[in-house]
Amino acid sequence: MRFADVLGSGKFVVTAEVSPPKGTDISGALAEAKLLQELVDAVNVTDNQRAVMRMSPIVLCHKLGEMGFETIMHMTCRDRNRLALQSDLLAAHALGIHNILAMSGDYPTMGDQPSTKPVFDLDSVQLLQLIEKMNNGSDFQDKPLDGPTSICAGAVANPGARPLGPQLLKLNKKALAKARFIQTQAVFDAAVFNEFADAARHTGIPLIAGIIPLRSAQNARFMNEKIPGVKIPDEAISRMEAAVDPALEGMKIAAEIIAGIRTNCQGIHIMPIGGHGNTRRLLEMCGLG
Amino acid sequence: MIITRPKPIEEILSMVEMFPGLSICVVGCGICARKIQTGGEAQVSMMTARLQRSGLDVLDGKMVKHACSTESWDTLVEENPALDKADMLLVMSCGAGISLLGRISGKPVLPGLDTTSLGSALKDEISEDFCVMCGECDVGLYAGLCPKSGCPKSQVNGPCGGSIDGDCEVGERECIWVKIYDRLESRGMLHLLDGIRPPVNHDRRL
Repeated sequence: MRFADVLGSGKFVVTAEVSPPKGTDISGALAEAKLLQELVDAVNVTDNQRAVMRMSPIVLCHKLGEMGFETIMHMTCRDRNRLALQSDLLAAHALGIHNILAMSGDYPTMGDQPSTKPVFDLDSVQLLQLIEKMNNGSDFQDKPLDGPTSICAGAVANPGARPLGPQLLKLNKKALAKARFIQTQAVFDAAVFNEFADAARHTGIPLIAGIIPLRSAQNARFMNEKIPGVKIPDEAISRMEAAVDPALEGMKIAAEIIAGIRTNCQGIHIMPIGGHGNTRRLLEMCGLG
Repeated sequence: MIITRPKPIEEILSMVEMFPGLSICVVGCGICARKIQTGGEAQVSMMTARLQRSGLDVLDGKMVKHACSTESWDTLVEENPALDKADMLLVMSCGAGISLLGRISGKPVLPGLDTTSLGSALKDEISEDFCVMCGECDVGLYAGLCPKSGCPKSQVNGPCGGSIDGDCEVGERECIWVKIYDRLESRGMLHLLDGIRPPVNHDRRL
């Protein structure tokens, strides 16, 4: 079922993230995706996430499509000017990729190619507008396309970012640019997410909450320091420190967060560290497996 | 104010090595580089001494009033004859000054500084990244704080998701969007941010 239709049905959706390989061997990524079969409504494929160079997500989305997965291809504005964005959107459409998650992208100095030229020719709002235009049959310069796209475009938001005012300004513009869904940065505090959801409700856009099950206290501290926009509360880190089985504790924390936000979002997006080995178990803990 | 920073001396020495046997005049600029102390009298005289210590044929170190704006090469030479005597100039100014001196002197020019941004000097406080020279200024909509230059991702429709508690995800800086929002909110002018801003039209720069 197309992701747009699942969203439209009002169902509580589950998506999960798979990364393309850093190299030519895609077997690991496909094996990861297999762990998600019958479990998720769509698989997200990342685009040079954290500005670390990897294979283009178009290829992996295509392969996953052949395996029967509905995919959501991430597309950052960091690496492509408007010419490249448009050609990749056409390519994605031709390969049966129906969903795009538009985002600015982490700054290159966060990643493994820090000397690269940051492009940012468009921002995520303008990319959403561009997709809408291409869905209506014309390119950025209003030239007709030989066959329009039919892409369901989503965008991202960071519910933990404060002050909220500027974040909501951007969110409102994403709504104006017809974002069909908003996937959020990882949520580690249900109250913080719910405050954001209340403030975002007027847009009417479904929220899909990002979930990262913590693996260890050390890993939590690393994310606080290194991942832009992530803020893990001290209480969660203390629980991870005290736990006999930290991975299980991380899942319990994630399940509690999901329970705490469930009425304020229309789905969750699982982006585990180090693979989907525990994703089925986590979803079962939440009654979503 | 054009913001410059010193080049590593090793880089300058290796550039000079590519022009063996040429005599050098070090040239400073009396405006921006002097104000921010990258190409003023003190820096020119230190560079001159440093290159001489390396055994290079440096005839002199001189200041020009503004490297990027002059009547003619002859005007500059009248004030500083050493400029004409040297085979080559090492110019401690922004890229505009280096380019103009290269054009009018007819001599090889080497950059003594790296040019990084368009900023300002308020007494001794130097600010960087005020303008990216996009060719279609709309800074009035952003409370005078340009997001094309102040935001590393040049976001014109609001902040990215990487800002936490008002800090930018890149380096040690505040998120320009938090400042824009605060300033407009305090003036009761948030309506200026209504609607979607278009991307820069790069065609207009040509």
